[in-house]
Amino acid sequence: MSEPPVHAVRLFFAAALARSYARVAWLFRSRTWMVQETVLPVLGVCAFAYSYRAMAAPPEYTGLVVLGASMTTFWLNVLWGMGAALYWERDSGNLELFVMSPAPMMGVLTGMALGGMTTTLVRATVIAVAGVLMFDVPIQPTSWTLLGLVFFLTLAALYGLGMMFASVFLRWGREAWHLVNLLQEPVYLLTGTNFPVGAIFPKAVAAAATLIPLTAGLDAMRQVLFRTPGIFDVWLEVALLAVLSVVFFVCARWLLARLERRAAEEGKLTVRWQ
Amino acid sequence: MREQLRTLRLAAWLGWQLETNWASPWLFAIYMVIKPVTGSLMLVCMFYAARYATGGKVPAEFLPYLYVSNACFGLVGTVTFGLSYAVITDRERYRMLKYVFLSPAHFQTYFAGRGLARVAEGTVGAVLNIAVGLLLFSDMRQALGTTGIDWLWLAVFLAVGVVMLWAAGMILAGACLNLSRNGMFLSEGISGVVYLLSGVVFPIGVLPVWVQWVGLSLPTTYWLEGMRRALMGPVPDSAPILRGPLATWSNPELALTLLLTTAALVAFALWFWRWNERRAWRLGKLEENAGV
Repeated sequence: MSEPPVHAVRLFFAAALARSYARVAWLFRSRTWMVQETVLPVLGVCAFAYSYRAMAAPPEYTGLVVLGASMTTFWLNVLWGMGAALYWERDSGNLELFVMSPAPMMGVLTGMALGGMTTTLVRATVIAVAGVLMFDVPIQPTSWTLLGLVFFLTLAALYGLGMMFASVFLRWGREAWHLVNLLQEPVYLLTGTNFPVGAIFPKAVAAAATLIPLTAGLDAMRQVLFRTPGIFDVWLEVALLAVLSVVFFVCARWLLARLERRAAEEGKLTVRWQ
Repeated sequence: MREQLRTLRLAAWLGWQLETNWASPWLFAIYMVIKPVTGSLMLVCMFYAARYATGGKVPAEFLPYLYVSNACFGLVGTVTFGLSYAVITDRERYRMLKYVFLSPAHFQTYFAGRGLARVAEGTVGAVLNIAVGLLLFSDMRQALGTTGIDWLWLAVFLAVGVVMLWAAGMILAGACLNLSRNGMFLSEGISGVVYLLSGVVFPIGVLPVWVQWVGLSLPTTYWLEGMRRALMGPVPDSAPILRGPLATWSNPELALTLLLTTAALVAFALWFWRWNERRAWRLGKLEENAGV
């Protein structure tokens, strides 16, 4: 059944707000988890920072590690909090309720993204601030506005990709968990989480890697923050991130409609523990 | 004893099936290679980035140090994370934990079996990882070929290491029995801390002195040093940067310290598991479902 346009828009925002509320409320209701999610990753980051120190690399390399660790939290949230979300909702029995309700699934996914962004922002900020203070990272941004713009576009593209993953993973069973697991280390390598991609990879490989929003976002932020040479000019990377955001969002919408229908036809919307 | 061995065998088989039968054998083999190898390649890229930035001042021996340490540490993550995750999946996902507890199978032996499956998976991953490193990097071939692998010490460190990893995994799994929501992330977080304190990707001499002492209280530090030495020999004089506080220790000293710290860890793990098992049973946590 279709809703009148005004009602549909209101329903979209209501669904997004309701779904994001659950994620943000978690911030305040599960404080021990929050400590675990922020303090322990900071200690993990230290290992790579000390590795660069042992190799006597310039201080901005420690900055690359801190920035990489901070932005990686968003990638992990995209994978586990967005990609695997519908698959988990199905396991816990919520997915059938989402589908049956008049709330649009894109609204639910948008809410997941907004809630995930908010909670992850706290984690990322703690890691970044702790890393900068502990390792005395030299920060000389060329422009805070540009940095904010790059950050915003990176998140938009990343969470658009996350929405796409959510619908794709809905089709899978146990493979989804392993696939999410598999998208960690290879992506850390391709995106240059701890090293400058442009200086190590051949130009063609580095250029191809920028199709992952984390690569372009990290590279642009490093150029702005540490004035290091990048794969492309910052503004070109900004444009690329903007295009990726739109493309991923449109693809997510199309895929969600298609795969939700297919999952319903194959009876996979209510199948659990497989 | 026969009953326990049967539980161990069946639990290991079940664990192996759970880990592997989601994909075809070929796809699973690719999965086994890609994950650890790309993790190691990231460290290789860090090494070359630092070398490029310092004008080649980073000694070539740093690369095999990073690579071999990281490959061995993969076992730590696989076994400890695997054991604690077994508690969570059996309770939350498959909802079988209470039935395993009710069955005549010995509860602790069941998890030891699940751990064995993870040891097998981790060992295959580490061997493949090192094989790819040998294939791709001449510095790796040189480091492992100069003195040759000391198979005897490798067997000793591996044997004690497996017991140490099982004990560490049981401590985390025991904690997970009573953690409804945070369990999944506990082992990952602990693994990150051990990664730092054991000097996986740098010699622990770089750390502040008081942190070095914390690192030296962990059995993983001795195990990694032992594994590196068994595979690559002692740190060469051409790379003084890699000489940590354990550089002057002999292999028997390292093995004995590893054995003693592992014995302490096993004793603690046995007590901690029993305490957690009893607490979880008393509080009804074995069937608690948090929807994670």
